[in-house]
Amino acid sequence: MGIHFRQVSHQYFSQQNSDYQAIYDITLSIEDQHEFICLIGHTGSGKSTLAQHMNALVFPTKGTVEIAGVLVSQKRDKKTDYNRLRKHVGLVFQFPEYQLFEETVEKDIMFGPLNFKVSPEVAKEKALESIRLVGLNESYLNRNPFNLSGGEKKRVSIAGILAMDPEILVLDEPTSGLDPQGKRQLMRLFKDIQEKTNKTVVIITHDMDLVYEYATRTLVLSDGNLVFDGTPDDLFRREELATWSLSLPQTIRVLKGLKEQFHLELNPYQKTVEEAVREIEKVTSR
Amino acid sequence: MKNIVIGQFVPGSGFFYKLDPRTKIMAIIVLMVSLFLLKTMTQLLVALAIAVILLLIGKLSIVRIVKGLKPIFVLLIFTFFFQIFFNKTGALWLDQTMSLNWLSAGAIVLATVLWRVLARWKVGGILPFLIYLGLLYVSLSYLSYGSTWTSFQFQIYEKGVEMSVFVVIRLLIIITLSTVLTLTTKPTDLTMGMEKLLRPLKFIGINSEEFALIISISLRYIPTILDEANKIMLAQASRGADFSQGKLKEKVKQVISLLVPMFIIAFKRSEELADAMESRNFVPGKPRSRIYDLVFGMNDIVAFVISAGLLAAAITIQVI
Ligand SMILES: Nc1ncnc2c1ncn2[C@@H]1O[C@H](COP(=O)(O)OP(=O)(O)O)[C@@H](O)[C@H]1O
Ligand SMILES: [Mg+2]
Repeated sequence: MGIHFRQVSHQYFSQQNSDYQAIYDITLSIEDQHEFICLIGHTGSGKSTLAQHMNALVFPTKGTVEIAGVLVSQKRDKKTDYNRLRKHVGLVFQFPEYQLFEETVEKDIMFGPLNFKVSPEVAKEKALESIRLVGLNESYLNRNPFNLSGGEKKRVSIAGILAMDPEILVLDEPTSGLDPQGKRQLMRLFKDIQEKTNKTVVIITHDMDLVYEYATRTLVLSDGNLVFDGTPDDLFRREELATWSLSLPQTIRVLKGLKEQFHLELNPYQKTVEEAVREIEKVTSR
Repeated sequence: MKNIVIGQFVPGSGFFYKLDPRTKIMAIIVLMVSLFLLKTMTQLLVALAIAVILLLIGKLSIVRIVKGLKPIFVLLIFTFFFQIFFNKTGALWLDQTMSLNWLSAGAIVLATVLWRVLARWKVGGILPFLIYLGLLYVSLSYLSYGSTWTSFQFQIYEKGVEMSVFVVIRLLIIITLSTVLTLTTKPTDLTMGMEKLLRPLKFIGINSEEFALIISISLRYIPTILDEANKIMLAQASRGADFSQGKLKEKVKQVISLLVPMFIIAFKRSEELADAMESRNFVPGKPRSRIYDLVFGMNDIVAFVISAGLLAAAITIQVI
């Protein structure tokens, strides 16, 4: 089970420009449980394309993707129930505007479960459950999704996928466009979901602080190539960060600066601000 | 949906790229008029040769042009057979009694199935279609068993064949010419050229500038909207709205789930665009200057002379 990419390449075809290859020869495995993966890389590096392979929204132009034991290859296969794969792997798109369409939040959240042949009563329950999960109270269920703020829309769109009860949750830039507090809240929420249900969560993000603090595994794409697959602790010790257009998290940057400036004996690899403060106190009180 | 392309401009640097869009539009009108003046096969073949020479001069790949012909292939075949069947003048070339009966009808069904299967697998290109036509002919003419339902005479006349070839070649040339225009002219240049050419219509109350603005905004936004539609479709498919399955009621719901976000995004975009234009001081109806204005060059004169020459030649041939 899980998701297995085997030498997957994807090329977009367009008549006007020459064809564009978005990802090259990617091989990787994602388990159904226990993983908190951050997928990072510069804009246009192929992150969204890779994510859309994870629930068979797009098909590889080379190689195969195995999702929950079902093999997805270049062509649409009539015998395959793609909806089952999309229920197995829930993918939340970057912009909630692409999916909200009902007159109430509740109906919109129920759209996914109903498509998967869940009974209306159960779908209603799921809607209530998932709106609470994303940190909104149930009064939102009767509101019009188009009158919500950007952050609220985002939460509703995430609730719409959560209500489908996927085994793996994939989120395309869920934290972009939110204030720092909202970002942290959402990350906390995903971590909670992952800890409570043990489901694997894959998040695309540009925020290195969040990556360092939360991820158990990071995947780095650069120009469509998978250049790194490992823990964030390893990642931020790598020399090639700049060539992959990545920066260090704030904590490491500050601590490294302090270390060099004042020749302190501190370990700059601290995940949170609190830990960084503690580390500084430790060396300065000596 | 991704494959719909509005305007098929392909960047390049041949002779046609250097021409003013106005020149190209006018020249094509002139050449089409000349084409319709031609009456005999030989004249048409000369015109075809000239069209090919033009392509070579412009360093345009003939393969690309042929690719561009693909969508209207059906139209060409239809025209061809329409002419063959309904033009009944000249010498009789073929007179075949055809009958529809149990055996031939069965053979036709079989041939159709075979052809569709081959077409589905995309083997052999146009070959299966030709074989299919052959099978149709053979089964209608020679297969008979049991009672005959209807029978008819299949007749081909000399003039019918000649006319069908003539019409098809003429269509080919027309399409080649217009493909040259769209292939080598940016959509924005094309609308600017139209705008200038339609200026005189101001006297009858048609404002070509507004017209051109509408067209260029549409051209600019159609690919964007299609792109957006594609993303919406993926986002909803991600929530189980698989557009290829489901009952009618579900289908309706799925279409709504596509249309509502489409309209909302389109309205949002149009508001943003209006704001962006106003913030750059766009006032509807006020005259505007341009950074890049169209200017005629040496090449344009050459093109004018050539097309005028061809028109003159076509007229002369008809007169003498
Ligand atoms: N539908 C599409 N058609 C053509 N090219 C596309 C399409 N979607 C994405 N691309 C191209 O593929 C590349 C990777 O895109 P994407 O996966 O969205 O990157 P990211 O999410 O990392 O920013 C980009 O250069 C983009 O222009
Ligand atoms: Mg993206």
